[in-house]
Amino acid sequence: MDLKAILEHHVTDQIWARVALGPLDLPLSKHLLMMGIASLILLVVFPLIIRSRSAALAPFRGMIEATVLFLRDEVVVPNMGHKGAAYTGYFATLFFFILLMNLIGLVPYGATATGNLAVTGGLALTTFALINFTGIREQGLIGYFAHLVPKGVPAWLYPLMFPIELMGLFIKTFALCIRLFANMIAGHIVILVFICFIFIFGAFNAAFGFLVAPVSIGLVLFTLLLELLVAFLQAYIFVTLTAIFTGAAMHPH
Amino acid sequence: MEALIRPEIGLMFWTITCFVLLALLLSRTAWKPLLQAVEERERAIKHDRNTAETARAEAEKLKAELDAKLAELKAEISRRLDEARVSAEKEKDILIEEARKSAGVIVEASRREIEAQKLDAARELKSKVAELSILAAERILLKQLDHRANTDLASKYLAELEKERPELKLGGE
Repeated sequence: MDLKAILEHHVTDQIWARVALGPLDLPLSKHLLMMGIASLILLVVFPLIIRSRSAALAPFRGMIEATVLFLRDEVVVPNMGHKGAAYTGYFATLFFFILLMNLIGLVPYGATATGNLAVTGGLALTTFALINFTGIREQGLIGYFAHLVPKGVPAWLYPLMFPIELMGLFIKTFALCIRLFANMIAGHIVILVFICFIFIFGAFNAAFGFLVAPVSIGLVLFTLLLELLVAFLQAYIFVTLTAIFTGAAMHPH
Repeated sequence: MEALIRPEIGLMFWTITCFVLLALLLSRTAWKPLLQAVEERERAIKHDRNTAETARAEAEKLKAELDAKLAELKAEISRRLDEARVSAEKEKDILIEEARKSAGVIVEASRREIEAQKLDAARELKSKVAELSILAAERILLKQLDHRANTDLASKYLAELEKERPELKLGGE
């Protein structure tokens, strides 16, 4: 097996079957399964923890509550204003959905669904929809497009600025998609490369391979911990950027 | 490797469906009760704080009231004490004055009594002296003269003596 085959096996999606639903060709794949597990945890475990009054679950309730309050008070309200507090549920769902998919990728036999362009693209599209929906809801259709170009731009620049800003809207979304995807995939590839080092050096000389192994394993552990940090960080960044873009669409000044 | 960067449209559809459903369901089942509980707690804390603040303000008002009342009472007490002192002083002066007056009266009355008793005693002494002299003279003159002639003589001599030396007069006339 060469490195390319190993990488493709561990990092890319494995499609097991395809279901045709009208014009859509829907795959049943490993990443879909992981997404399903994340969704199941969110749908079953979270309401259970939140609604239960048992003392044993209190720490978990506290963790969820602290996270949601942090999102509300530090991410949603500062960026979107007090009207934005109504969207707290959306942002909490987004955060925990991404976080769970990131974390499942770190569990043995798990796969990182967020390390798939289709998944991050889908999430970015929901953000794109949210930005335009809240913008139009707050300012009206005409007001929203009129405020797309920032204030203070000379009138003669409008024909130039309007297409740029319109493109910016799509680029922001695209950047969100790529950022999450690249961050989640990069760690995995680095880990695979570190492990492959052992076999590459081992192919030269068996003793050399044994010498490299501890160093490689240490580096893999370090990268794994880094990935744990990145899992939380990228979920936070995705949610924060969504809040900033949505806030900017709601309040154009 | 191109599978890595070729987005699967079907999976994108799954993602969007999944996320939208999650957002809709979780806002009902998870975030709503959570935020409600938090808001309830925040409201309770706010309410408690308001109550505590009100109670403190009330206590402070009460304390100020009590302090004012205490000061008033202190002033009242010192005023009453002063009044009592002044009236006691007055009373003392009156009593002393009265005592002095009644002492004067007693002294006067005793003086008069003494005077009267002195006069009485003098008068008695005078009559007794006269009688004794008479009796004595009688005894003497019984040997020489008859009693009458001698008494007359003695009275005459006494009267003469009294006229000559009034300081020796016995008893007041």
